[in-house]
Amino acid sequence: MRPVLLRLAFAVALPAVLVAVWWVASAGSTNVYWPPLRTIFGAFPDVWTGERLREDVLPSVLRLTAGYTVAAVAGVALGTVIGSHRRVRAVCEPVLEFLRAVPPPVLVPVIMLFAGIGDTMKIVVIASGCVWPILLNTVEGVRAVDPVLAETARSYGIRGAARLRDVVLRSASPQIFAGLRQALSIGIILMVISEMFAASNGLGFTIVQFQRGFAIPDMWTGILLLGLLGFLLSVLFRLVERRVLGWYHGLREAGRRSP
Amino acid sequence: MLDVHGLRKVYEGSGRRTEAVRDLTFTVEAGELVCLVGPSGCGKTTLLKCVGGLLSPTSGEVRLAGRRVDGPPPGTAFVFQEYGRSLFPWMRVGQNVELPLKQKKLSRERRRALVADALESVGLADAAGAYPWQLSGGMQQRVAIARALAYEPEVLLMDEPFAAVDAQTRADLEDLVRRLWRERGITILFVTHDIDEAVYLGERVIVLSASPTVVREQLKVDLPDGRDQVHTRVSPRFAELRTRVYEQIQAAKRGR
Ligand SMILES: Nc1ncnc2c1ncn2[C@@H]1O[C@H](COP(=O)(O)OP(=O)(O)O)[C@@H](O)[C@H]1O
Ligand SMILES: [Mg+2]
Repeated sequence: MRPVLLRLAFAVALPAVLVAVWWVASAGSTNVYWPPLRTIFGAFPDVWTGERLREDVLPSVLRLTAGYTVAAVAGVALGTVIGSHRRVRAVCEPVLEFLRAVPPPVLVPVIMLFAGIGDTMKIVVIASGCVWPILLNTVEGVRAVDPVLAETARSYGIRGAARLRDVVLRSASPQIFAGLRQALSIGIILMVISEMFAASNGLGFTIVQFQRGFAIPDMWTGILLLGLLGFLLSVLFRLVERRVLGWYHGLREAGRRSP
Repeated sequence: MLDVHGLRKVYEGSGRRTEAVRDLTFTVEAGELVCLVGPSGCGKTTLLKCVGGLLSPTSGEVRLAGRRVDGPPPGTAFVFQEYGRSLFPWMRVGQNVELPLKQKKLSRERRRALVADALESVGLADAAGAYPWQLSGGMQQRVAIARALAYEPEVLLMDEPFAAVDAQTRADLEDLVRRLWRERGITILFVTHDIDEAVYLGERVIVLSASPTVVREQLKVDLPDGRDQVHTRVSPRFAELRTRVYEQIQAAKRGR
């Protein structure tokens, strides 16, 4: 019980301090662009009503989920193919490095040309930005399967789908998750940016609307909500990762105890 | 049962050519326990991998029950030298033992029974739910052996399986191998660089030369079937045999 409380206290301490500092520093502010935190908090429940959450936040989250899922499936599938075949890798690697180096927001205008300005465009933007870290990490993970494990699988006739499911993907899962984690933050950024270009709803759209309408405290509440959303998703991610990679953390711990 | 004929293996790659095995010919009868002993780096692992179908020989051939080996044969199980790395760390012990069985068309109950029986045999019945990395080196090696047993192989290939465990564990594991061999009638080809281990375990010892490797000598071990760590190792016949193997290895190292 005690350690849990203590850990909770540690986790909450810094955010609490930051909020307090912000609160105090902005308390007497008369600058329109920098309203007191109290005003922002006051505006929050008025701005983010149930309807707003349904009309703006939900579409954003759904688009993020769709884009992220497409990226995850495509990234892992392509990464596995590229990682398992030396020839394919030799052909693809330079191209991948190039595509990865292109900053994803640059793609928004290009993708708009092909995919219009609807949901499809935003999902494509999110997916095309998220896919690279997942793909490249999967390639590395699949390549790095321990040769002794690979030979063990071979000697016991573990082939095809069983080999992929029980050996290759499991062995690559720590790297795949590292890629998924990077992709998550990229996805959130692209979710907002794609909505700033052309949209009729969504978190990014709403924040820009507030800013254009000089509803500055409202704009700030949007930014806070965005931060909260990111935090929530990262906690969720961590929970899933704990479950899937429990063995990996245990293995590393065991390695540290007796190297 | 197992016929190795004129086996030669040359590794080629990145400008270097290594002739690991030059010319090996020997046979292993069904149900025999044969130890291969040779100095480190003489190509023991290479030979065993060729026998297990994991490597293809440069020339010569391996025949198992009359059929030429050109890939891992279904009736063969391999216990690797790097046992810690040959267990799947994301699977519990029971799942590790069960995984190879899923490739065979066995019922779920049959699989469960084989896993339980194999773990029981190696004295790990209550470790089925643990992860391999939660176990000691000796226990991990037992899991690798249990996995091989559950597979119900006709031929068991073991590559220096006890090289990295402490002396006491090693003695226990040697007795375990002897016991399993006598109980189950498996054909075992056991590779080691340890002369005492080879003589203690084997019905026959094949001494390999240093690289490039040929068979230097084959020695029948005429010790009684029921061996034990205390008495067998101090018997005069044991001493004679180990001296003989030792001399052969020394001569091999000098490269004659
Ligand atoms: N994959 C490989 N590529 C090139 N040379 C190898 C490879 N594997 C082993 N060798 C070489 O072949 C020789 C025999 O190796 P190995 O079969 O592992 O011997 P042992 O198991 O008896 O110690 C060594 O000289 C080793 O360096
Ligand atoms: Mg070896």
